[in-house]
Amino acid sequence: MFKSVYNWIDERLDITPLWRDVADHEVPEHVNPAHHFSAFVYCFGGLTFFITVIQILSGMFLTMYYVPDIINAYASVDYLQHQVAFGQIVRGMHHFGASLVIVMMFLHTLRVFFTGSYKAPREMNWVVGMLIFFIMLGLGFTGYLLPWDNKAYYATKVGVEIAASVPVLGPYIADFLYGGDIVGAQTLTRFFAIHVFFLPGALIAMLAAHFIMIRRQGISGPL
Amino acid sequence: MAHGHKSNEKVVYVGDSRVKRSNHPNIPPDYTSFPGKSEAFIPNFLLKEWMVGCVVLVGFLVWTIAEPAPLGYPADPTNAAFIPMPDWYFLFLYQFLKYPYVSQDYILLGTLGVPGVMFGALMLAPFLDTGKERRFYRRPIASSLMFLSLIACIYLTIVSWDHYQHTLEANGQIPEHHEREEKAREAAEAGEERPNYTKPAPVASLVDADDPAMEIAKQANCVSCHAADLKGQGSVPALTGIGDRLDKDQLVDVITNGRGGMPQFKDQLSAEEIDQLATWLSKQKVAAE
Amino acid sequence: MSNHEQHDSAHKPVQRKEMSRRQFLSYTLGGTTAFMMGGAVLPMVRFAVDPLLVKKTGSNFVKVVEESKITDEPQEFKFKIHQVDGWYESDPELSAWISKDANNNIFALSPVCKHLGCTIAWNAKGKNEYDCPCHDARYTKDGKNLAVAPKPLDEYEVKVEDGFVYVGPVRPNTRLG
Repeated sequence: MFKSVYNWIDERLDITPLWRDVADHEVPEHVNPAHHFSAFVYCFGGLTFFITVIQILSGMFLTMYYVPDIINAYASVDYLQHQVAFGQIVRGMHHFGASLVIVMMFLHTLRVFFTGSYKAPREMNWVVGMLIFFIMLGLGFTGYLLPWDNKAYYATKVGVEIAASVPVLGPYIADFLYGGDIVGAQTLTRFFAIHVFFLPGALIAMLAAHFIMIRRQGISGPL
Repeated sequence: MAHGHKSNEKVVYVGDSRVKRSNHPNIPPDYTSFPGKSEAFIPNFLLKEWMVGCVVLVGFLVWTIAEPAPLGYPADPTNAAFIPMPDWYFLFLYQFLKYPYVSQDYILLGTLGVPGVMFGALMLAPFLDTGKERRFYRRPIASSLMFLSLIACIYLTIVSWDHYQHTLEANGQIPEHHEREEKAREAAEAGEERPNYTKPAPVASLVDADDPAMEIAKQANCVSCHAADLKGQGSVPALTGIGDRLDKDQLVDVITNGRGGMPQFKDQLSAEEIDQLATWLSKQKVAAE
Repeated sequence: MSNHEQHDSAHKPVQRKEMSRRQFLSYTLGGTTAFMMGGAVLPMVRFAVDPLLVKKTGSNFVKVVEESKITDEPQEFKFKIHQVDGWYESDPELSAWISKDANNNIFALSPVCKHLGCTIAWNAKGKNEYDCPCHDARYTKDGKNLAVAPKPLDEYEVKVEDGFVYVGPVRPNTRLG
């Protein structure tokens, strides 16, 4: 049954080579933690991706309850964390997952740096990876405002003040982020949109580029 | 895969589409007989990677179950006591901007200059470190710069966190989200409802507003600090609903002798007037509505 | 990967009865995947379906009007209920058409037309019927549907205590059998 459906689709779209290429490519010994325990450092990239998937999923589920509005944002976060079953876990996944992504990504970056894996021909992949790093930091920054507690409010204020110190463009950047003159209703919806649509969109595009390049160029050889 | 068509082989398409008709059988190759220790990505290698993933996931879930995600009190732009702290991964930058030569007149150097150069260099690392050598100890400049930046970031983060802890201690504060959790726990233990910070507090209105004591309040200039409707202003507390917080004797004491920023009124008002005023104020209860 | 065809012809699949190593690994990988997805997604799914599993709390009875004010002629009475909708609490105002039937029993009808949900009114056209302004649905004093509407008007649960009429949750009309 499954097989005949698959064959029917495969005949029309020839999808087998797509996944076969991913599934069957040989993974060399030097990155395999089963052969060399120290090769676990090569797992950080995959773990970053795994936690990112958890972040995307838990974020999707959180928006079922969350409202980006200064009057109700805090109330809805409070409600979903304390009144909804498993709310503490789902919000915890998203909150602590953010830190974990940063940690994993940091370790992954260090691994790539210290094994010199960014050298030719993999320069572009390093640059894309750094862009992913910045997008993640941006996600962390915009996500912090959303619960609308004191920490959210003041951390955002400080962050935007830093952006505002840029010459010439600074005030415009600040106005753009604030959506007005104060940290308020317009700031919150703006940050919500950036956090939920713009940055994740960019992130997914960058991740795709990252993975395609890894597949094209393969893993860097043993040292 | 079936991509290796010889150039003279005729390519057959499915229908009038551009999809090549393939004749590869859908049987996965068996790697058991392959020489060497390299292995297929799926299932062999991914299985190992996901064993690590499982350990991380279980640890992560335990963490989320054990530790509720922090949530402070609702944002209050007038809250001056709150010490804003960014998330831990921004602390190094936060701390960095406190130093001279990267703040005040040089703020630009701190926000744009140094971080710009650092992150720019990090981003362009492959173009700056172009040697063939990959081992970190064979490229001492790149590695030592990275070690230095790492140590600097860790140092800045720790200093920042220490400073925060010291400030908390000096001010006798505990972080909001801890205080909030603590209160929720106490309420649960006492069998009460969890404190709700989003519900607007019941608005107290003036009870017996035409009582003669109101005249005393006006003459004694209570209204100049506590506002004309006695609802308070700035840091001066409201007198509406004061009866819930203080009883009559306490009110007499506060009016007579003052308290905190409040001056004493024993010279301006007679004992009877104070008594009359306190009696009236002690009736100011929210529940009295 | 380009040696695929050659590889296939070289090793014509060895027919083995027992599970091959690769199959075993594939099943294990499948199991691990299921575990990981389950561990991550199940809490979220439970989180999402929570409203389905929350016990419905019937709304309480609300004091509406003195019993003595109820006549045979239906009258509209407004009352406020306390509604908790997640994090949003409100006190919306509802109305009920309350009257007495032939046996002096008090009953309260919901003003929501069973046709398409407009708001009906008593005797709007002078025929001693409930009329709906939208599509001319009509109901008798007992809420029986005469035209257009497919079902009789819903009624509120009613109780009388200490001379006051209390109105409770809405339920399908029980008086018409």
